Amino acid sequence: MAFINLKKTETTTMQFGGFNVEVVEAPRGAPSDTLIGMIGNIQKVFVSLLKGMKVTLSYLVRPSTVVTQQYPENRETLQMFDRFRARLAFKYNEQGEHNCTGCKVCEIACPNASIIIDARKGGITKKVEIDRYTWRWDICTFCNACVMVCPHDALEMTGDFESAVYDRRLLIYNLNTYGGPPAKVLKKMEDPEQKKESMIARDVYSGPIPMTGTAIPGIFALAKNEEIPDDVE
Amino acid sequence: MNILDLLSIPILNISSSGWETITIAQRAADALSGNSIELTIFFLILCILITVSMLAGLGMVLIYAERKIAGHFQCRLGPMRVGWHGTLQAFADVLKLLLKEDLVPARADKLLHLGAPFLSILATVLGLAIIPMSPSIQVIDVNIGVVYVTAITGLGVLGALIAGWSSNNKWSLLGAMRAGAQLISYELSATLGILVIVLFAGSLQLSEIIQSQAEGWWIWRAHIVGIIAFFIFLIASTAELNRTPFDLPEGESELTGGFHTEYSGLRFAFFFLSEFVNMFVASALVVTLFFGGWMPFHIGNWEAFNSIMDLIPPAIWFAGKSAFFIFLLMWFRWTFPRMRIDQLMRLEWKILLPIGFANIFLASLVILTKFHF
Repeated sequence: MAFINLKKTETTTMQFGGFNVEVVEAPRGAPSDTLIGMIGNIQKVFVSLLKGMKVTLSYLVRPSTVVTQQYPENRETLQMFDRFRARLAFKYNEQGEHNCTGCKVCEIACPNASIIIDARKGGITKKVEIDRYTWRWDICTFCNACVMVCPHDALEMTGDFESAVYDRRLLIYNLNTYGGPPAKVLKKMEDPEQKKESMIARDVYSGPIPMTGTAIPGIFALAKNEEIPDDVE
Repeated sequence: MNILDLLSIPILNISSSGWETITIAQRAADALSGNSIELTIFFLILCILITVSMLAGLGMVLIYAERKIAGHFQCRLGPMRVGWHGTLQAFADVLKLLLKEDLVPARADKLLHLGAPFLSILATVLGLAIIPMSPSIQVIDVNIGVVYVTAITGLGVLGALIAGWSSNNKWSLLGAMRAGAQLISYELSATLGILVIVLFAGSLQLSEIIQSQAEGWWIWRAHIVGIIAFFIFLIASTAELNRTPFDLPEGESELTGGFHTEYSGLRFAFFFLSEFVNMFVASALVVTLFFGGWMPFHIGNWEAFNSIMDLIPPAIWFAGKSAFFIFLLMWFRWTFPRMRIDQLMRLEWKILLPIGFANIFLASLVILTKFHF
């Protein structure tokens, strides 16, 4: 830093991936070789060291700059950040309807196949609609690709990061609360009975689990038990 | 002798009026000549107690301070869980280190591997013994104090060298070699910085160097020469302490801990402790040589101000001044990035050493012409 002069910067335009990006170049000087210049060099060194020390001191004297969260203590009040990526979830509107059409773009975009989509031909709409959206929290890398590719803005990454469980199978999630057409199709239906009929309730753990066939309390295999009991959340 | 005699011994009466230095070893000798064997034993035990309690107490306090200050320098909090704001964290760590398994690598030189931490801590204890903390709190006052200090810091690197050699590990050996090269190089500059003050004070004894600053501290009285000597000594002692930006012997990111890579448990704690207490010894030396040791801060003819400053006990003055320099060393550590080994050597041999030689020449001219306060 010592010999970089920030007053003599040059701004040029460079191409990066088809975009014109402004690049600011600070000329990197060299220490002077002359005897008189040596005193200037020493002065520059001390000034730049003091600048650095000023920055760290400003953090030390202002405890408000601390970013550490005292996590278990502030669990009640902890607000996760907008761009924090943890549990994948569907976006629901006020009526509890999602936007997923079952197009499987996210399944294709997923780098390690942690999304498995069961789509079916709807009984009432006669169109392809989502049946089960299975997401595996245990193998997800939180790359956000599924959220970015979704053409209907149906997915989001939530700040719910507390995923510790004693069984890996408990991390296989079913994201949709109902199997059926998306919100924009449901909006066109005028008959509430027809609407209700097209939305088939799904449980968080009603995906193709358990994998080994062993029953976990509260988790029901799809093949064995099609009907989900009412007392399971 | 009864208990009342013990209570009335001068060490417990902290007074700043008389600045006559009486070391504890001196008191023990006086008691021996006064045929009081109990008092002699008491003072000898006190000698040991002061060094050992300084070692343990400083270790605890400095480790806590370092972690807390480092945290806040980096927008973190530091230890917060054990005790109020993590105050008991150091005790928890000591307990953990005591209970840890003491690993010795296969095909290591067992005897040297065992001995290296003790050698390292021995140098620290020997350094602590001559630090004048107040007129009455000083274990022993050597008449060649400055030479003794330079010799002891040279002994400290032997611990690092032996540790690196005996570990049978290439990273350790690299760290140890760096420690040796670095210390031998920077010892020169540190000595040149000390010599300027020795020229001004006219004595090698640490207590006499402090007494010579009764009129004003050398950083002020020796003006330009003193300030240059102070900066040279500060940089060189930072390098001798193996602290960032000169922490190449440890080099956590490149050497996985350097010379103490293969140490665990109590022996690792010894290296850690000696590093932290060495920091105090270096700060105490800076204070003793340039900032008047335990002398209170006086301004010219301000009689009222000076007498108020005299009320503060010298031990507090010393503690405050060395605390500031310890903080400065921590501030350096958490601000500056580590240097490369060639940059380190260039700084010493091409920059600091020529400046140091020119400075000592200038200092002798200043003293000859009496061009100082």
